[in-house]
Amino acid sequence: MQKIEIKITKVREEIASFYEPKVWHFLTLNGVALDEETLEVQWIFSRYEALDDVVIYFSKISYDTLIPSIVELIPSAIISQRELVDMFGVPVEGTEKGLYLDEDSMQKPLAGCKL
Amino acid sequence: MSKKTINIPLGSQHISLLEPVRFKFECENETIVGVDSDVGFVHRGVERACTTKFKYDAIGYVVARICGLCAITHSLSYTVAIEKLMDAQVNSKIQYLRTLLLELDRIHSHMLCLSHTAESAGFEAMFMRIMGDREDIMEIQELLTGNRIQFDYISIGGVNRDIDSQRAKEITLRLRELEKKIYGYIEEFENNWSLSLKYKGIGRLSLDEAYKFNAIGPLARASGLAIDVRNEIDYLPYKEIGFEMQLHTDGDIHARNSVRLAEILNSIAMCRNILEGLPDGDIFTKIKGKPTGEVLVRYEAPRGELMYYVKGNKTAMLDRVRIKTPTFASIPAFSHIFMGENYADAPAILASFDPCLSCTAK
Amino acid sequence: MLRSLYLALKNLFSKPQTIDYPLTPIPKDKEYRGLIEYSEEDCIYCLKCEKACPPGAILFAPTPNPSENEKNKKGLEYNYNPYLCIYCGECVRACPKPEEALWQSNKKQEVALKEQEVNEKWFALEKKHQAFYQAKRESKS
Repeated sequence: MQKIEIKITKVREEIASFYEPKVWHFLTLNGVALDEETLEVQWIFSRYEALDDVVIYFSKISYDTLIPSIVELIPSAIISQRELVDMFGVPVEGTEKGLYLDEDSMQKPLAGCKL
Repeated sequence: MSKKTINIPLGSQHISLLEPVRFKFECENETIVGVDSDVGFVHRGVERACTTKFKYDAIGYVVARICGLCAITHSLSYTVAIEKLMDAQVNSKIQYLRTLLLELDRIHSHMLCLSHTAESAGFEAMFMRIMGDREDIMEIQELLTGNRIQFDYISIGGVNRDIDSQRAKEITLRLRELEKKIYGYIEEFENNWSLSLKYKGIGRLSLDEAYKFNAIGPLARASGLAIDVRNEIDYLPYKEIGFEMQLHTDGDIHARNSVRLAEILNSIAMCRNILEGLPDGDIFTKIKGKPTGEVLVRYEAPRGELMYYVKGNKTAMLDRVRIKTPTFASIPAFSHIFMGENYADAPAILASFDPCLSCTAK
Repeated sequence: MLRSLYLALKNLFSKPQTIDYPLTPIPKDKEYRGLIEYSEEDCIYCLKCEKACPPGAILFAPTPNPSENEKNKKGLEYNYNPYLCIYCGECVRACPKPEEALWQSNKKQEVALKEQEVNEKWFALEKKHQAFYQAKRESKS
């Protein structure tokens, strides 16, 4: 498992230069609540037909930072982005709320989960 | 002539669906031109429960309840993640027994999918036949674990019960009988004319599209994309027990069925190898300490790649448990495949994906 | 295709695959994982099973008339909720005297009826249990 930190503003460029559809498999987008104010967003990739070769791009941000969307590069990322919006209440470019949660349900259940 | 489209929903309750999911199809005459999906009907907040309500040693039993069909993959992935965080090793007997149950689970899950695909194509008799034969594999699982569906077989540091030679013999015998039946299905799925009308050339996903949408599991392998986590991990001894990747090139429903049938045969062969060469050893090693650090574990569930990301902080409560389930990651590919197909074929196509919504919404 | 037609016709005259339940009981494996059973005489009241149980189906709650077991210093009583139990066997593994004090049988639990008030009784027990430990913590601090 290899972890690479990137700046949130540079996400699209970094991933565009790294991602080749026939070499890398996009696993998912993950969020980890570090504390009440900081969120670690991870873009996880694995290499096809290689032994456990996983690369994680991550960026530490606050909960109100706009996260750039990578749907143009990787269309299947839309579903993970929608989950991230629901679970942490962070804004992601061009991604709407409401994959899992309804309006009357508990909002952003995983944000600052230590409560 | 004006181009008017009509919206036809499929779900949330539909006769061909096992679980609640809603697809809104925008149709032009019979052809689907737009797809919108809603998958969150059975969201239970398992990820939050894992970090707020349960201690790390109980979570293996919590995540097993996400889904009845791939319960074992969930608890195994979580358990291996915790074992990695605590720097623990388990002996090869434990690994073999875990693999055995994992493959048995794959067989019964694939059989369920095949029966439902047959049912959705209007072949009720085949559905009954496969479901009847599936009972054999359920009984094998009960013999091995003591339960039919929620096995609770895997615990942190080992497995919960041993297998004696008499049981091993009975399981081998029953698997041999099952294998004969599977050859019967292969003949049916290959040669039945009415099934070929419903399956061949329908719901096609090309190899390029499979790459583009990051397809996984039998869906990807039917299109020729060689992705199988069993090939990409070394925490289970798949190389030793004769794992072979099953690929097909057509990418339609028929190809998916063929891949599943071939995988069942491969799984039966692997189970037989495991039972023949089961090493001696304890079935449980005590592990001390508290999980710390972060780890990412992947396994091949019956429907594709399952990923667990676990972060611990040296206490009994974990910081984060992220579960990426196979169906969840395949939703964009599913939506794409529906485009351009006939509405009447939608149930059969959907059944051929083998969607698991309780996994997806978790 | 002809073969499947033949099989379908043959199935018309063969025995059904289903069991005539409840007239015929469902065959059960000898080592089916069933209810947890407990022997008060052998228990040493270490409370390990209570801590190990994932759903919290074992509670040692205080009781006004405790048993005469000399290990039972706090005056507790073993309570087991078969409807909450997931039959995983973690408690038996945690037990220092497995097969003597605590073991897993192959019995099945009967279906609960509304009159039995299974949930209400259990919730009351949980409250009692919580209050007991709360009071203990407060007396310590």
